Amino acid sequence: MLKQVGKAEIRVDGPAKVTGRASYPQDLYMAGMLYGKTLRSSKPHAEITIDTTEAEGLKGVIKILTFKDVPHNHYGVLFKDHEVFCSKKVRSIGDPIAFVIATSEKIAHMAIEKIKIDYRELPGVFDAIEAMQSDAPKIHDKGNLIYHYKLRRGNVESAFDRAAAVAENTYRTSMVDHAFLQPEAGLAYLEGSQVVVCVATQYPHFDRQEISEALALPLDRIKVINPAVGGAFGGREDITLQIHLALAAILIGRPVKAVYSREESFAAHSKRHPMVMTYKTAADAEGKLIAMEASIVGDTGAYASWAINVIRKAGVHATGPYVIPNVKVDSYVVYTNNPFAGAMRGFGATQVPIAHEQQMDILAEKLRLDPIEFRLKNCFKPGDRTATGQLLHHSVPLVECIDKVSEWMNQNTGADGGAIE
Amino acid sequence: MKEISLRVNGEERSAEIHEEMRLLDLLRDALHLTGTKEGCGEGECGACTVIMEGKTVNSCMVMAFQAEGKEIITIEGMATKDKLHPIQRAFLEKGAVQCGFCIPGMVLSAKVLLDENPIPTRDEIREGISGNLCRCTGYNKIVDAIETAAGYLNTGGDSNA
Repeated sequence: MLKQVGKAEIRVDGPAKVTGRASYPQDLYMAGMLYGKTLRSSKPHAEITIDTTEAEGLKGVIKILTFKDVPHNHYGVLFKDHEVFCSKKVRSIGDPIAFVIATSEKIAHMAIEKIKIDYRELPGVFDAIEAMQSDAPKIHDKGNLIYHYKLRRGNVESAFDRAAAVAENTYRTSMVDHAFLQPEAGLAYLEGSQVVVCVATQYPHFDRQEISEALALPLDRIKVINPAVGGAFGGREDITLQIHLALAAILIGRPVKAVYSREESFAAHSKRHPMVMTYKTAADAEGKLIAMEASIVGDTGAYASWAINVIRKAGVHATGPYVIPNVKVDSYVVYTNNPFAGAMRGFGATQVPIAHEQQMDILAEKLRLDPIEFRLKNCFKPGDRTATGQLLHHSVPLVECIDKVSEWMNQNTGADGGAIE
Repeated sequence: MKEISLRVNGEERSAEIHEEMRLLDLLRDALHLTGTKEGCGEGECGACTVIMEGKTVNSCMVMAFQAEGKEIITIEGMATKDKLHPIQRAFLEKGAVQCGFCIPGMVLSAKVLLDENPIPTRDEIREGISGNLCRCTGYNKIVDAIETAAGYLNTGGDSNA
């Protein structure tokens, strides 16, 4: 028990990784395997009709999968709002439309060029605030606003009335890609009555469930193998090629491999949610925070993915690590025709510090207080309660952290003084 | 199609190539040396780094025919049968390996750096791996590992004996 705790151990997968023996999905090869390539939408919002006739006639093309081949043409981690292949319309650039299976990557690529997509473009919406208006183009059948998280504590209005300083500003963050170094890749093959899908993923058990639902197959007919994963950071929490590959292997009965280019990788997986954050923060004359009101709008693009949990978390973390007795937070998830957003390191807690820390600096300036002192005066300490009501009775070493950072910043020395390289 | 010969990790190899084949494809698809990775296909990320005639190259930017008659070292050529190269050992010991996808290229860039400059400063190490992107570690532990590896190599390559 606890043999490894407190010791610097060599990670178990380390030796294979430093010698090049570790197998990522693109490193898997099988005799007789075929290659798959995805055709993706080049329009952000359009009705489509698909004609694969010419592409199917190309020598070396085995089959072209479209929505017609998928028993239950949907998937998604929280809402089943993705289609495995778009049937009637595309909702963002990069949406998968077809999957060519061919004897070589080159032929698959040539076949993609020969698939004819008739796009009848629809008005799109690319700004989350505009997408909330009642006359905005609808991305899905229901409205674009799909989630509203509310946090209420005390009475912000009366607190603002007696404030010594108030800061009110709007902050916007941008979309971010994980850019994990290993682009998506996978290999699927049949093994007895099972279809085996080898794919680098953060959730093999979820992937298995999604494949099972889309293909209308019982779970025990599906095996997902997770070989070495070349980085993920949240970007492998959604389906990309898993269902395409499983379906291809089942329909053809031969191993099928697909490897995304870097460009396709950007088009295929989620992004960090861009947020529009409007904050009103108030402090009294002693420099104590007394109220904060925030409206946070998260742009989840064309699909919900993890947005509900991400934007709830943004709302929960909206105060930052500060004691504020009166709090009103509203956070919203909105569909647009942008690339879809999902999980990415921090899961909604990463964006809000852009806003709450700027607010702290602006308030400190208004109150003529040192920004570090102002933070120390208001930050969480053991025994405090968060805006969501959590009693912090365990370790809260924030004061020590700020003290240390302050000491290092003011030393202004080299590596020994803690300066970050 | 054309048959070419080259030396890979000290062995004479020959392979059938076609005009569109990159050195990366030759290594991975024809010679089954899959330790060389493709991260971007456009010479930005360095995951496909190999050593050609003593210099690092992005094998996605070198055509297969350009490797004819050349001496190539890939990650598979770094360790002997029962012993890791000191650079590889240092990477493990310093916790420089996370997802591992950049590591073959990092190790090979480190090798060329240390071959040319056995006692590099930390800045020179950073310069030496500036063509290799890592998305996991934040680089500091990789720099630590290369510093440690320099020490191992300068003391005969085996401080662990």
